[in-house]
Amino acid sequence: MAMGSIGDTLWDVVICGTGLQQSLLALSLSRSSKNILHIDPNDYYGGAEAAFSLQETESWVDRLATEDKGLFRSASITKPDVAGLSFPRAYSLALAPQLIHARSELLSQLVSSRAYRQVEFLAVGSFYIFKTPLDPEQQPSLVRIPSTREDVFSTTAISAKAKRGLMKFLKFVLDYDSPDQRDVWKYFADKSLMDFLQEHFKMDAELKTYIITLTLSLDGRISTEDGLFIIHRHLTSMGHFGPGFAALYPKWGGISEIAQVACRAGAVGGAVYMLGAGIKSMATAADEIELELTSGDKVKTKLLVRGDDSVGDEPIISRLVAVVGSPLKSLFEPTIEGAPTPCVAVVALPAGSLTTSGEANTYPVYVFAHSSGTGECPNGQTSALTITTSDILIVLSSIKPFCIIHNMLGAKANWKSIGVIYLSTMATSNSKEILSRALESFLSAVDHNQVPQCLYQLYYEQAAGVKQSRLDGLTLDLPGPSLSLSMDDSLLQHVREAWKKVVGDTVDDAEYMVFTDREPVDDDDYE
Amino acid sequence: MATRGPPGARPGMGNRFAQFKLVLLGESAVGKSSIVLRFVKDQFDSYRESTIGAAFLTQTIALDENTTVKFEIWDTAGQERYKSLAPMYYRNANCAVVVYDITQAASLDKAKSWVKELQRQANENIIIALAGNKLDLVQEQPDKRAIQTADAQAYAKEAGLLFFETSAKTAENVQNLFTEIAKKLPLDQVGPRHARPGQRPGVSLAPEGANTQVGGPCAC
Repeated sequence: MAMGSIGDTLWDVVICGTGLQQSLLALSLSRSSKNILHIDPNDYYGGAEAAFSLQETESWVDRLATEDKGLFRSASITKPDVAGLSFPRAYSLALAPQLIHARSELLSQLVSSRAYRQVEFLAVGSFYIFKTPLDPEQQPSLVRIPSTREDVFSTTAISAKAKRGLMKFLKFVLDYDSPDQRDVWKYFADKSLMDFLQEHFKMDAELKTYIITLTLSLDGRISTEDGLFIIHRHLTSMGHFGPGFAALYPKWGGISEIAQVACRAGAVGGAVYMLGAGIKSMATAADEIELELTSGDKVKTKLLVRGDDSVGDEPIISRLVAVVGSPLKSLFEPTIEGAPTPCVAVVALPAGSLTTSGEANTYPVYVFAHSSGTGECPNGQTSALTITTSDILIVLSSIKPFCIIHNMLGAKANWKSIGVIYLSTMATSNSKEILSRALESFLSAVDHNQVPQCLYQLYYEQAAGVKQSRLDGLTLDLPGPSLSLSMDDSLLQHVREAWKKVVGDTVDDAEYMVFTDREPVDDDDYE
Repeated sequence: MATRGPPGARPGMGNRFAQFKLVLLGESAVGKSSIVLRFVKDQFDSYRESTIGAAFLTQTIALDENTTVKFEIWDTAGQERYKSLAPMYYRNANCAVVVYDITQAASLDKAKSWVKELQRQANENIIIALAGNKLDLVQEQPDKRAIQTADAQAYAKEAGLLFFETSAKTAENVQNLFTEIAKKLPLDQVGPRHARPGQRPGVSLAPEGANTQVGGPCAC
């Protein structure tokens, strides 16, 4: 845009909010010649999908306590009195730690728009089930879910009969949408997948739990149609971008990073960015809207696109984010030769596997364990960690002993936080307790001998937003963020419609998100 | 890339290859984009237009026979009035070049405020270099100088910055600036370029890397 005040321009579109959908809209318009003003009432990027340092987390929690922040509530921070945290900016806690399946449309769009070059993608490794022992003297354990045919062959976790059943099911899912197979599940389409698995595949409870876990269904009651779609996506995603993994996670905070990369593309394309500027008031005329921003500026635009952050009718989820002092190494081992080292592991604690004050959990708890490879916490294996008595003696005998010891202490030389754990479950009257219990149980199942220490906890609840976009004159409200634990591609269609609204009918739909690299790229550099 | 097979007998096996994100900050018209253009393409354009929003470029330099450093450079617009873009660029940046114009006294004040912001908001370990650009102008007309080298140098030392006076026009010290930054980066934390695929976490989405493993769960 031209120099001068933002009030002098008649904007083609003002985009309010920098969550995933609004940011993807900015990316989609980044090669158009449209005048774009992209604002956000927050002083950070990402909206409901932001990633925060510990300082930012604190101010977010403080703000939630004093003002209505739409979809978020009941946020609190717990810091046990143990040393081990690094400096606050070394952390990047994701509000939306969603997995992205390799076959997600989002990834296709990031590739065709060339934005993927700015993102570092990591592999999501195995899915596990938390198993309480039959004998209460025994320790709980984590059992890896076999989710490929090779896995099913080699696993020792299930019986030969169960293997046959699982194999039959996997084969069915790969072809589930063909006319023949549709007849098999049509009757169950809106009914629970659990029932379908029971009726048609005669699966036992354990096997059904395995399958439901692959869907990441928060209430465990996913419909057959949705469930089969998700499991099909999981199976066909396996191996799509390399051996041994079905889903990806963007380094530095997941979806938050994608939103920022999309905004950067918007900025390179000439969009003007203003943080800390929300809409104070608006007046709509025949073909333009006049907006008064909280920054005091007045701007005129032909179209306003916002994110709708009003609470929808879907349930609420509870989330617990914990920084732990253990690399949780056993969870992040590649399961097959040539696979990249995973940085995320998924663990389900099924309904009924946890007890708090005598009550079992009604809904499953999903744990996403992130290694320091995600960039969301520091890697504890630094030289500072290995300081021994002899090192200190050397320091003491060096020229400026005071200064060096001071620096060591100042940098919290003993920090060791090396994993971030995200837990999600349906909100209930005791879901906060259940999540704490789930965290404890998970950590002791990872290593009974030396249960990893918890260094920091953030708890909050998030309500689902509205599900549809809404066009009212010159204002388009995009749906609320998804609560899904894996990327929900249905949101992308709303972004596309918003794009169409801005560019008009003269632009071919096939051009959506299809760009060439701005710079010549030597692909060899991306090894 | 993870999905390709072993690289075979390529030269550079076992060499170190490191990639770093660098952000350029500074007041409008001090020559940020010109420094990048000189570094990346070895060109200079006296009548370059203002950068809109931001620009992204890459350049690879060889530090020594065994070490290659690739810079991913985000060049931001100095005219940016709302201070909303920079945080997006210095997020996760490994290094920053803060540029001022040695013939404009106020541009150093602006540079100092950028340095403060970086030290307050960016990655704790960020390497910051201060570059006083347009050295060519004072070489032609010494009285044009508004900021003494010693003053800027003293400030840089106090704030813990690398310091160079540069000329994007004559190329003086431009290469040097980036090489010295590269030398300060934590190269020892970076593995060999062609480490065994299974040991690296990164996944490539490059279309040519994606087509070999397509298919169902048995594709491997």
